[in-house]
Amino acid sequence: MSRLGRVLVMLVCAFGALTAGAWRYALAADEAAPQIKEYKPNISAREYEKRYNAVYGKYTEQMAEEGNPADFMLDDGKDLFSKVEGSAGKSCASCHGANGEKLKGAAAGFPKYDPATKGINTVALQINRCREDHMGAAPLKYESYDQLALDLYVKSLSNGVPIKVSIDGPARPFYEAGKAYYYKRHGQFNFSCALCHVKYSGHMMRANLLSNNRHHADHWPSYRLKWAGTGSLQRRFRGCNKNVRQKPLPFECETYRDLQLYLTYQANGLPIQVPGFKM
Amino acid sequence: MPAVGRIKIRVPHSIARGQVIPVEVLVTHPMETGLRKGKDGKVIPAYFINNVDIYYGSDRITHCDWTIAVSANPFMTFYVKAEKAAPIKIVYKDNKGGVYEQAVQINPS
Ligand code: HEC
Ligand code: HEC
Repeated sequence: MSRLGRVLVMLVCAFGALTAGAWRYALAADEAAPQIKEYKPNISAREYEKRYNAVYGKYTEQMAEEGNPADFMLDDGKDLFSKVEGSAGKSCASCHGANGEKLKGAAAGFPKYDPATKGINTVALQINRCREDHMGAAPLKYESYDQLALDLYVKSLSNGVPIKVSIDGPARPFYEAGKAYYYKRHGQFNFSCALCHVKYSGHMMRANLLSNNRHHADHWPSYRLKWAGTGSLQRRFRGCNKNVRQKPLPFECETYRDLQLYLTYQANGLPIQVPGFKM
Repeated sequence: MPAVGRIKIRVPHSIARGQVIPVEVLVTHPMETGLRKGKDGKVIPAYFINNVDIYYGSDRITHCDWTIAVSANPFMTFYVKAEKAAPIKIVYKDNKGGVYEQAVQINPS
């Protein structure tokens, strides 16, 4: 081969290796982190605070304290906690203490990565797991009265405890998935959660002031006037899905658990306050 | 289960004689207006509290006529001058003949 020929071959090989490498790199990056167009809020935090106070003042907090109808559900949850159910002849209190002493502060770390299922575990899932694995009792139907009551009671044991969910290590991909869902456009109206709750937070949407997502996960289950009843954060997700004409997802599905992790992380450091009270 | 007519009453812990105290009362009730339709397209019949009586000891201290305009699971606050040791009793009646009542003892010192 001539000298020129050899140089040409070398060049082609080098180019090939380079492009293949770059191609592989691009693929890997694509799989690891889906492309997210992040938003910044349109208005400053101070301006938001001002607008929020102008619309809601302290009314919802006050109502939550004075006469929250969810308090009845909380009482029922307390009773359920010490009710013996299932083939093992146990109640939650048999393992977790008479007044749930051993679960004080436990809810502040949820949702969290669970090595057993290699997925995100929520309080609701954990309660059903305890019922099935440790009590020999049937799992409770999500969003049924008893399920919400137990969930509410367990969370109330952490009232005032700052939320501290971890997104380190194996939890990270689930957090990223939740965030990707939050920033992706959905439904016939083509809205992302972040469009309403980040970019346009503080603006009015009809009679609603769009809230920013800092406080979205610290007060559920909450009593909602619109529902005339108490529901979970995931019921609220379903409501927001329907508002943009998207098909709501089933309770405790993987996507909603990831989403819950993402939103709860935004509330890190804030005290848990259940039951909440919302319009 | 969420039952109709469960009542919670809250009064201050320590009460001085003659003090004006807030009494906070919550009751569970669907307060159905009779103007809504269910998923089956049929009108949901009206079902709401229309009569509230409040007693302090043997005296009826106030009476309210409520309508469908009151929210589900209504909450109200009223103020009473705590002059005597006696129970405050709240009696709700609804349009289907349901009667729900609860009392709380007031012991001014
Ligand atoms: C036989 C004992 C037993 C019973 C009964 C039981 N649990 Fe558990 N619970 C456990 C164990 C063990 C764990 C640790 C995680 C696991 O193994 O699932 C746990 C974990 C939990 C956690 C998470 C605690 C944390 O710090 O992460 C919650 C919340 C919980 N249980 C709630 C309940 C509720 C509510 C009930 C009643 C429906 C109940 N458990 C009944 C044994 C029990
Ligand atoms: C079209 C705008 C819009 C979109 C899109 C939207 N929401 Fe909402 N969302 C609202 C409005 C309006 C409210 C009620 C007022 C408020 O608190 O912001 C609300 C309330 C909420 C709340 C309750 C806040 C609280 O403090 O109680 C949560 C949680 C929530 N949305 C989550 C989501 C999630 C998750 C998505 C994406 C699946 C989403 N929203 C998409 C408009 C929207």
